[in-house]
Amino acid sequence: MSDWILGEFASEEKLLEAARELRAKGHAQVETYSPFPLRGASEAVGLRRSKIPALALFGGLSGATAAYLIQWFTNAVNWPINVGGRPPHSAPVFIPITFETGVLISAFFIFFGLWIILRLPQPYHPVFEVEAFRSASTDALWLSVESTNPSETEQLTNRLRGLGARQVSVVPEEP
Amino acid sequence: MQPAASADPLDPLPLIAGRQDSDSLTRIIFTPVWEKTRRGWWFLFLLGLAGTGLLTAAITVTFKEGIGSWGNNMPVAWAFGITDFVWWIGIGHAGTLISAILLLFQQKWRNSINRFAETMTLFAVMCAGMFPVLHLGRPWFAYWLVPYPNRMTIWPQFKSALPWDVVAVSTYFTVSLLFWYVGLVPDFASLRDASYSRLKRIVYGIFALGWRGSSRQWHHHKIAYLLLGGLATPLVVSVHTIVSFDFAISQLPGWHTTLFPPYFVAGAIFSGFAMVLTLIIPARRILGLEEIITLKHIDNMNKVVLATSMMVGYGYLMETFIGWYSADKYELFSVANRMFGPFAYMFWLLILCNVLAPQVFWSRKIRTNVVATWIVSILVNVGMWSERFVIVVVSLHRDFLPSSWAMYKPTWVDFGLLFGTISFFGTLFLLFLRFLPAISATETKELYKELSEEHAEATAA
Repeated sequence: MSDWILGEFASEEKLLEAARELRAKGHAQVETYSPFPLRGASEAVGLRRSKIPALALFGGLSGATAAYLIQWFTNAVNWPINVGGRPPHSAPVFIPITFETGVLISAFFIFFGLWIILRLPQPYHPVFEVEAFRSASTDALWLSVESTNPSETEQLTNRLRGLGARQVSVVPEEP
Repeated sequence: MQPAASADPLDPLPLIAGRQDSDSLTRIIFTPVWEKTRRGWWFLFLLGLAGTGLLTAAITVTFKEGIGSWGNNMPVAWAFGITDFVWWIGIGHAGTLISAILLLFQQKWRNSINRFAETMTLFAVMCAGMFPVLHLGRPWFAYWLVPYPNRMTIWPQFKSALPWDVVAVSTYFTVSLLFWYVGLVPDFASLRDASYSRLKRIVYGIFALGWRGSSRQWHHHKIAYLLLGGLATPLVVSVHTIVSFDFAISQLPGWHTTLFPPYFVAGAIFSGFAMVLTLIIPARRILGLEEIITLKHIDNMNKVVLATSMMVGYGYLMETFIGWYSADKYELFSVANRMFGPFAYMFWLLILCNVLAPQVFWSRKIRTNVVATWIVSILVNVGMWSERFVIVVVSLHRDFLPSSWAMYKPTWVDFGLLFGTISFFGTLFLLFLRFLPAISATETKELYKELSEEHAEATAA
């Protein structure tokens, strides 16, 4: 458990600068919050490349493979049907369903993968304790950093002010 | 900041009008959600509910009496049901085009209208999806289309275009829904945080899933949204292509043509943009969104309508040309029957609405005139419905042997389903406008920031 220190910044540059500064000082748990994605924010808080594209590829390939195999097994092996003289295993007619299913399963992997990676839904989060933080989703830019002991909390509060935060709030650790 | 619209005709129209900031944009976009329900809304909503009642009645009769309650006969086994299905699914395509293809092409003007168009897609596909099931005759066996191991030890026949259709349409609906929701989550969070009533906070909070707008969340969200857009793009092309296969892989003169897939896709985008215009022109006015959905958007959409109208017109021309070039007497007859047969008025109506009416959009004055645009958009909707009627009914009613020809006459159930789905669509759309922001607040703010930066660079240079 730890204290959460939140600071609101007036501009994007100051916010990202503060995030970089704090990370350089060894605070790993730095997060920025903004109403829309900020250019350079991922780099400022040190995020690695997202795994979602890999999930999408895997989902798409497995969906397409499964769809083709189902069509082949049902219509060519288990119960061969002669339709207008086409061979039982007729690849061209299996393509539409193969393609669509690939897209469908890929979309499922992206959608559910996203929420699993982000650990959402998550009804409670310490930052929601701060009433002023509600502006983070409409027009304000916020930064959060975690501390493990009271003296660090004190020090971080001052540092955020020094880095140009307009207001700083502390969400204390649950007693 | 954005300059105001100038008198210079070479100056581009602004994408966001007036001086704004994140706060004022939030206010403009969320005001329609917070304000008290208006009387006009209730009036339209009750009207929509009444029409939905008609839909329920028509569906009940269809289920109880069977397809015999429709005007369908032999040889016109497909009529209003398939016409409505293709019409609705086509309307849906503009939403996906705007949200997905324009996203990949990084067209900035999509940001203020994509939510609107995506929602339209969802509701249109819901309406479309009803028809194949209603048309089954025994709709309670709809699940037979799914390949599951069963006591009859039989499987669906995947070499037919109809199971392709089922997979295409259900994939289309699902992917559109997921894409729409992923785009909405940050806005739900914004609604949660901006609302001052406890109930709203809880309800919007549930849909927001605990979104905080952190850099980590945006990092993954951005790529997920882009990839879903990337997946939706081939869907725009493939779904209507597959719908056109329902016709094109058969042997009926007027259906059996390789022209169908591209011509159907162009027609779908054409009718979809027309429907977006039909809905957005009154909505931007009533909801006070004129600063965000500007004349620039209307102008751009009208250009797409004009371009797709020409593509569809080329399709009609080619259909006629190939009919003659084939030297096949059935094809030749089918072309002549379209133009001069008993349903000739439908053909000339579609030429008037789809090819001639949009030609007024060559003039910039008319492209930026909302009343004229609205009238043309309605004409295009009518024209596209006529086009599908001509393809489905007119091709079927006089096929090969004159002894098997018949005339087609729709019943009240057919009209009930058509106007019922239009009402159902309208009702859903009214609910959307009441409870959700019609414009993506997140993307508008991002767009505004980009435009301001561009403008700052341009003035500095």
